[in-house]
Parts: sequence; structure tokens; C-alpha cells
Amino acid sequence: MNAGSHTVVAVIASCSQVVAVAVGGLVLIGLMRKVRAHLEGRVGAPILQPMFDVRKLFRKERLRPDQATWIFPLAPVVLVATVAVAAAITPLVTTGPALSTGSDFFALVYLLLVGSTLLALAGMDAGTAFGGMGSSRAVTIGALAEPALLVTILALSATAHSSNLPAIVRATLADPGSVATPQRLFALGALLVVIVAESGRLPVDNPATHLELTMVHEAMILEYAGPDLAFVTVGEAMRLTLLLGVFVNLVAPWGIATTTNVAAVAVGLVTLVAKVAVVGLALAVFEVFTAKLRLFRLPELLAGAFVLALLGVVSGLVVK
Amino acid sequence: MSASTYASVLGLTAAVVLLCAVVTLWRRTLRAIIRVLAVQGLALACVAMVVGLRRHDTGLIVVAVLVLAAKAIVVPMLITRVVRHDPASRETQPLVNVPASLVAAGALTILAFAVTRSVTALVPTPAGRLIPLGLAAMLVGFFALVTRRKAVSQIVGILLVDNGVALVAFLATAGVPLIVELGASLDVLLAVVVLQVLAARLRSLLGSFDLDRLTELHD
Amino acid sequence: MTAASLVVSGAVLGLTAGVGGATLPRRSRVAVGAVLVWGACALEAVAAIHVLVSGHRVVLHSAELLPFTGVNLVLTPLGAFFVLLVAMVAVPATLHGIGYAHHGLDSRMAAFAVPIFVTVLLLVPAAGSVATFMVLWELMALTSLSLVLVDHGRREATRSAGTWYAVITHIGAAAILTAFLILAAHSGGQSFAALRLHARHLAPVVRALVFVLALVGFGSKAGVVPFHVWLPKAHPEAPSPVSALMSGAMVALGVYGIILVGDVILGGGSLWWWLVVLALGAVSALFGSLHAASSTDMKRLLAYSTTDNVGLALIGLGASGLFDATRHPQLAALGLVAALVLLLNHAAFKGALFLSAGSVQSATGTRDLDQLGGLLRRMPQTGALFLGAAAAICALPPLNGFIGEWLLFQSLLHGADIGNTAGEIAIPLAVAAMALTAGLTVVAFVKAAGIGFLGRPRSEGADAAVEVPGTMRLAVGLLVGVCVVLGVVPTLVLPAVERAVRAVLPRVAPLSLAHGVDLQLVGLRGVLEPAALAAAMAGALFGLGALRRALARRPAPRVAEAWGCGRQLQTARMQYTATSFAEPVQRVFDDVLRPVQDLDVSHVAESRYFIEAVTFHNAVDDGIERGLYRPVIGAVRRWGQVARQLQPGSVHRYLAYGLGALVIVLTALTVIR
Repeated sequence: MNAGSHTVVAVIASCSQVVAVAVGGLVLIGLMRKVRAHLEGRVGAPILQPMFDVRKLFRKERLRPDQATWIFPLAPVVLVATVAVAAAITPLVTTGPALSTGSDFFALVYLLLVGSTLLALAGMDAGTAFGGMGSSRAVTIGALAEPALLVTILALSATAHSSNLPAIVRATLADPGSVATPQRLFALGALLVVIVAESGRLPVDNPATHLELTMVHEAMILEYAGPDLAFVTVGEAMRLTLLLGVFVNLVAPWGIATTTNVAAVAVGLVTLVAKVAVVGLALAVFEVFTAKLRLFRLPELLAGAFVLALLGVVSGLVVK
Repeated sequence: MSASTYASVLGLTAAVVLLCAVVTLWRRTLRAIIRVLAVQGLALACVAMVVGLRRHDTGLIVVAVLVLAAKAIVVPMLITRVVRHDPASRETQPLVNVPASLVAAGALTILAFAVTRSVTALVPTPAGRLIPLGLAAMLVGFFALVTRRKAVSQIVGILLVDNGVALVAFLATAGVPLIVELGASLDVLLAVVVLQVLAARLRSLLGSFDLDRLTELHD
Repeated sequence: MTAASLVVSGAVLGLTAGVGGATLPRRSRVAVGAVLVWGACALEAVAAIHVLVSGHRVVLHSAELLPFTGVNLVLTPLGAFFVLLVAMVAVPATLHGIGYAHHGLDSRMAAFAVPIFVTVLLLVPAAGSVATFMVLWELMALTSLSLVLVDHGRREATRSAGTWYAVITHIGAAAILTAFLILAAHSGGQSFAALRLHARHLAPVVRALVFVLALVGFGSKAGVVPFHVWLPKAHPEAPSPVSALMSGAMVALGVYGIILVGDVILGGGSLWWWLVVLALGAVSALFGSLHAASSTDMKRLLAYSTTDNVGLALIGLGASGLFDATRHPQLAALGLVAALVLLLNHAAFKGALFLSAGSVQSATGTRDLDQLGGLLRRMPQTGALFLGAAAAICALPPLNGFIGEWLLFQSLLHGADIGNTAGEIAIPLAVAAMALTAGLTVVAFVKAAGIGFLGRPRSEGADAAVEVPGTMRLAVGLLVGVCVVLGVVPTLVLPAVERAVRAVLPRVAPLSLAHGVDLQLVGLRGVLEPAALAAAMAGALFGLGALRRALARRPAPRVAEAWGCGRQLQTARMQYTATSFAEPVQRVFDDVLRPVQDLDVSHVAESRYFIEAVTFHNAVDDGIERGLYRPVIGAVRRWGQVARQLQPGSVHRYLAYGLGALVIVLTALTVIR
């Protein structure tokens, strides 16, 4: 096949990734809530409830606090835009999405950071105590999670000798046994903790709470209403799905499209949905049995993740 | 002049220089001390004259005349002016009493002789053998500087040190070039003028020349 | 015109600017000086570009200007890179100074010193001999010191800052001079070429001593922990254009000095040297970012952030030396490229940040974050530019900070298996340090931007702020523009950086980067496509913005009061302050920061049950100053008190010391024959 059709398939794959992450993200959130509800003995809302919520929000009017500046309406759009770009270039459905040569794990982390930083600024834009509190806690947690995250990337990049995500996934596909090495397992464990921290799930943050003592993420976005809130909801769902997608493709990349034909892409899509659903469900079950940690116990958790990641790197050195 | 007369005249005048330095430690009144200083200046000029005549060095003879004018006449006159305002000034109890000072002077002279043994070996002329006297005069002058209370005595002490150094210069090198001697003398003159002014100020501030009362730097 | 004549004419123009500044009347002093300085920067920059493009050095020698030694200027590609860096910061800084003049920059002293400072900064990278270098270095220190003290009449803190700066910079200069003198003594000449030639014959101990001395000396100028204590004192007290120059350009020259001695003159050196550099870099990065995150003074925050960025550059430099010593030339070159790119980026965004902080101080009268707020509405352009520069320093794509961090990460990543145990342990720790630093930088700058510019104004000064004159905005805009360009198309400058690095590490085959608009590592697997990424982000942003506008019922949002938990009135007092924003970080790092907290509750006179006022005071002082410098200063003072016993004020005692010493010496001479 010539280069032109390669590019076309790559673009199709990227678009399917973005759509899958956006739509699938909302469905995943609904699914997780449903599982939690069942385990808690409730019926719970329909699985598609988050989508209905988003549709409802788009019909409401936009509000902004009287002191807010242009940062306030900009943040939700930037959040979704950056996560969408990230979803387009990471190897979720195929190892060759558009711009895959520049698809660097480090770049992915910082792309997501753009959205969260701007959201933190928007929290302060409202000029309320809630906004400041949410922003302060969110950036602190982000700062504490960074070392674990980057050392994890270091550990995971060792096998492929590159931090290019498609290269790492391809290296894992070529050598399935490498997943079971202590290096990989430690690093993936640390990655899971960091994903929980970055997407604001239990035990780091409770996405369902509105008590100021326990809010982190919710406090930042308290002032958003209507379409802005819809964008934020979609953005957060996309971020979680994207991170889980990257995680599953690092653990069990089988099914991902390695060739550039549409059939392989379709298979990749289906397997991605399945894998992410499984991990999401496992996460939901875990959340039922966990309480939110005190804010000042979080450094211990994140330091633990860091030590795990460091162990991953060191065991990689030892086992050479 | 013959070698032996030369040697003995030189030895006599150099000894007089040292003797004047020691006598400064003995005398009590400031006027007497200034007179002794003048005598030392005269003796120093004689040393220079003798060495100059021996070597037929006109430069040195000119220097001798200058030394006479400066050290024997001008400087004592300047210092006398300071003392004139205080006619009954005596050196009150010095920090080290007179007998002990004289003993110390003797010790310093012995030290000077010990130190300059190797130097005299280098310069075997009659003049060279008298260098220890110059060094001793310098050390005794320094001692006087340290142990006298009054500002005027300390000026005298500086001048004694300078005379001792000049003596060593005349003996060791048959004098120094004219220009150097002029420069050195000018420096000393300037120092004396400054010290005179300071002494007068000291007197007006404290009412006396006692330097031990000048302890403002303490703390 | 030849490049040599460009260099000379640039220097002459700079000196003329200084003289002109001192002699012209007050109204035109700063502006004329600034224009002439731009001319000097342009001339020097052209000469530097010529050197970088052609690869030939420029050599100038004049025996008359300095007695005994003559002036020796040699512009190598590495030096040319730093000349461009300085010029990049100096032009906007002097432009900003025109509007900032009434804060002390229009005095004769300042108008004379600023052009001389800039000229010397431009010439230091071109110095080719020890004497030339030291004269220029000292001039740099003196002019910057006089500029720090420009406002000294009004504040005690300025005088104290000046004292600390003067002492530390001179101790550093003494160390540098000692290192150079040791080298010169063994080489019989004092040009850097001669030093380099003879340095390889030195004993390893001597080479190590020279390197350590140079590291101490240049490290103190660069603001490396533990010699950084003058930075957070001096940079806030200096006028903002001067702070921008010092933070952006002068500290970069400190790192230039380390590269000069370590790589150029000593030719690489042993492994442990670069491990020390790496360790110092990591510690500086962590310490700087932590203190930046807990500072409430805007300029002090920026000063600590400078220590942080210099630490990152040193991590790159240390990694480069490490790889060079373990014979991985490709990686060594990559590390050095990362370090230089980090310095260039830092000059751009730190310059922009300091200049906008100066604009804020000019408009509001304060630089305390707890007194600011709501400035984005009152100073829209300055605020937007500050946010842009803050995004750059947080390494957010698609701006230039991200490129530098990526390069640094790549050099550390690919060096993970170099075969040396110490190095392999150091690298993950360096990555961790880099990561935590990045996170804390985000905390610091979200705080600075959020508390300073967003929300409601916390004081009358902030409430009354108006936008600053156009020159000041333009100056900041220039630097932010540079950040954007370097972020989206870094391949504009990367070939120049490569050329500079190749001059230092000549054993390397064609170096690691560039081609087209993408960054591609040659021989290693790593690609970044900043332009494509930026285009994708912009496209997504506009697309989604249009989507929102299409889907929403009414395009413009309705203004409504923010949620106040049932309270009717929102005041500025209900917002977070800089102190409270940093509180979680302070709590986590309590042992390192040891904040001093003071709570004062005063009761109503009539009854103790009613509280009249509660005051909470939280201060974080510099740990190294508290733990290292103050005890040393205290010990020196105590020894001084003891030595005072020797000085009771009696003239006789002093004279006796003299006589005693003389007698002892003479006796000793007789005895020891």
C-alpha cells in the first residue's frame, strides 16, 4: 500500500481513537457508576446517564462569576482539546496513529498537564475560597505524582530504548514475556497509582463529593455551568479513558492494530473497548471497598508509587 | 687620614650615636632628651663626614652637611617648640623603670651583635665591623618608643630608630645615594611635623601628653 | 565589516552608551542609553551569528588597553551562543527600562552602569585570556552591584542584599582567580589556548582542585546551592530590568564558566567531577523550586526559580560530562545541547517574567503576592504575557520550556545503561529530581499567576492598577514571542546550539538533532514534532470553541455571583492568599522548609470571650542561609570578639607588639643558621 493510503488509514484510526475515547469515556463512567451502585445494593442510574447529563448541560445557559476573566471560558475548551490531541496520537487502537513518530510518552504527560494547569488557574479565576482550595490541592497532588510518573516512563522506556509510545507497545508485542519481568510489573503498579491520582479517583479524590473538606477536583470546577461544565465532564472522562487505554496497551497490547488496514483498525477498536471496560470495572470494584485518604496521607501514597517506580528501574539495571 | 685614625674616629663617633640612644632611656626631663637627640645627630653627621673624607666622596660630604642641618638642628628645634608650652614637663614614670630599661638596652645590644655576625663577615672593613652598633641603636630607639608615656618621647623614639638605620646605611654601603638620603630625610621631617601637630592636639584634648590616656579605640 | 571590527565597534558603542547615559540630562538619559545599547547588542549579535554560521573564531589582541597583559578576545562558537543569549535578554530589558526609569534607573549612576553592564555581559563570553576574563568579570560584578544598590537610600533590605551579594561574588571571584592562576602557573602563559594546551600535563589532584575552585566560583555566580543565598536577596531589590539581565544573562555566564573550565580547558576530566555537578544541579533544582513554591514575594519567587532552572541546566551538564567520561560521545553532546537549550529558554521566559513583575510593581507599588489580585482585568496585556511566560516556565507544550525538558529527559533516558554503577544510580534520581522540580514549578507559577492576576484585588494598590506604557508591554511581548517561536520551531536555533556544542566536544561525529521542523535524535530513538503538535492543539482548540458556540443557546455567558455557601457578599478577603495556596506543599515538606509561624489573637477589651482580631504570620526563610551561613558568620563574630582582647586601645601595647615581633625574628634568625 502506498504512503497516501497509510496516512488515510492513520487519520481514520486517530479519529476513531478520539471518538472512542470521547463517547466511550462517558459510557465507561456510566458503567463504573452502575457497577458501584449494584455492589452498594442500589439500582443506580442507566449506563448512558453521563451522556444524557452532557446533553442536558448543553441546553442550559452559560454562567460566569463576576470577577472571572477569559481564562474561565478558555479552560474547559483547552482541556478537551489537549486530551483529544493526546488521544489522537497515542497508540490505542493502532500502533500507527497520525503523528505517531512524534508520539512521545513524555509529550503525552505534558499535554495532559496543560489541561489540568489551566483548569487550576480557572479555579482561582472565580475568586472564591473553594476555587483556591481546589487549585492548591490539585497542583500539590500533581507535583507529588510527577516523580513517580517520570521514573515510570524511564522504567517502561528501557526495553524499547525510547520513550516513543508506539515503539514501547511494539516492543511489548514482540516480546510478550517482558511484561512479566519485575521491572515492568513494578513500573505498571506505580503507573496505576499515578493514573488514579491524576484522574481524581478514589482513594485520592472522590468525584462524587461536594463537601469542601473532601473536594479537590470538584472545588476547582464548582463555578462551571451549562456547556462549560459539559466540556469539563467530557474532558475528565476522556482523560481517564485515555490513561486507562495507555495502561492496558502497556500491559496487554494484543489486539492492537499493527498493520495499516481498516479491518485491523476495527479489531483494534473492539479489543480496546473490551480491555478498557475490564480495567474500568476492576477499578470501580476497588473504589467500592476504598475510602478517600486524608489529604496529608497522599504524600505517603505517592511516595510509595515513586519507590515502586524506582524499584522498577533498579531491577531493570540488575537483571541486565 | 691614616687607616688607624680613621678606624678610631669612626669607632668613636659610632659609639657616641649608640651612647646617646642609651642616655635617652636614662634622662627624665624632655628638654634633656631633646638635647641628647641633637648630640646624636651631630655624631651621625661626623660619621658620614669621616667616611666621606676617607673615600673622597663629595656626595657623602654633602649628605653629612645635610644630616647636620636636619637631624642636629632643625628637628630638635621643631620638637622643642612642642615642649615650650609645657616648661616643667618631665617624663613621668615610664612603663619600665630606668634601671630595667638600661639592662634591656644592654640585652638588645648583645642581640644586635649576635645577629649581625654574619653581616660583619661580609664587610670586613673597619666601617663594616661597626654595623652592630647601628642595629643596636635602632633597637634601643624602638624600645624607647615602646616604653615611654609621653607623645614627645615617642617622637624622639622614632627619630632614634631613624638615626640607627642611617648609621647602618653609612657604615655598610658608604652612604646611600644623595637622592635617597634626601627622600628619607624629607619623610622623617614630614613625620615629625605631623607628630608635632598631633601632639599639640593631644595636649589640647587631654590636657597632657600622656598617651596612655588615649584609649578611645578600646571597645 | 569583519567580525572582529563588529565586536570592537559593539564594545565601543556600549561604552559610549554608558558615558552618554551619565552625561545627558535626566529626561533623555535612559532612552538614549537604551538605543545605543541596542546598537551594541546588534553588532555583537551579528558577529556571533557570523561565528556560528561559518565556524571560524574571531581573534582580537591588543597589548595597550591593559598594562602587562593586554586584552585578548577570542569568540568561539560556544562564546557566540552566549553572546546571542545576552543580546536576546538585553534588548527587551533596556526597552523596559525606558518605561521603568522613575524607579531609580534614571540616576546618573544607573544610566552609566546599565550600558556598561550589558557591554561587559556581551564581552565576557569572548574573553580569551585570564586577565581579560577577570577584568571583565570584576566589572560585571561591580556594575551589577551598583545597580542592585540603586534604590538603597530608601530601604534597609537593599543595603543588606548588596552586602551579601558583594561578599559572595568576591569570594567566588577569588576562587575563580585562584583556579586560573594555578593553571597559568603551569602553562607559562595566560591565554586560554595556552592553558588548554598545558592542562593535560597537570597532575590529577591539581586538575581536580582547579575544577572544584572553578565550580565554587562560577557556581556562586550561577546561583547553585549552597552559594545561592545572595540570589533571593539581590534580585528582588534590583530594578526589574536589571533583575532580568542578572537572572537571564549573568547566571548563564556562570554556567558558561563551568563549561569553559571543565570541558574547554581541562578537556573533560574525571567521572566524579560530573557526578558532583549532577548532584549539585539536582539539589539546586529541588531547593529552588521548593522555595519558589513557598515564597509570597513575586520577585523572590522568580529568583528561587532561577536557582531551580540553573539546577536543571547543571543536571544536563553533569549528565553530559558523565557520558563523556564513560565514552558515549553522542549522549554527551545531547546532554550539553539540553543544558544550553535550557539556559536559552530560561533567559527568554525568566526575562519576560521579571519584566512583567516590574510592570506589576510599577503599576501597583508592591510585589507582595498577598497584596495583589485581579490584575488580569486591569492590566490585560501584561497579565496575558505573564501567563504566557508562566506557561513557558512550567514546560507546557507548545512553548519552549517543554522542548528543553524533553531534551534533558531524552539525554537522561538514553543514558540509563551506560555501564557505570554510580552513573546508573544517579540517572533515575536525576529524573526524579527533574520531575518533582517540574511539579513544584507548576505550583509556584499557578500561585503567582492565580493569586497575582486572577480573582479580586487584595489591596488598594492592586485595585488602582492601570496598564503600563507601551514600551514596557512591548518588551515583555518580545520575550514571550521568542518563547513561542522557540517552542513551535526550535529548529531555528538548534543548528547554532549544535555548532556551539561541537566546538566544545569535537570528538563527536555529526551531532544529534534537527532537520526540517521536527526534532530527531541521530543514532538514538527519539522524535518530537513540536510544530505539528502546536498545529494540532490550535486546530482542536478552534474547532471545539466553534462547536461550543454552535451548541450553546446563548453565546455569551451570563454574569452571576459565585457560590458563597449561602453568603450574600464575596469580598477579597475570602480568597486564597499566596500563603494559603502554598500551605499543602509547606506541610508536606515541613522538615526541609521549617516555616516560622506566629499566631496572635487579640480579644475585645470588655470580654475575653469575644475576639477582636486574629493575625497569622508565616515566614519561610532560606534553609541554607539559616543552617550554614548564619552559624559561620556567628563563629567568625565570636572569634572576632576573642581577638578584640588583643586591641585594648593602648598605643604602648601596639608598639610593644612591634618590638616583640622584631626581637623574636632576629633571635630566630641567629639561632636558625
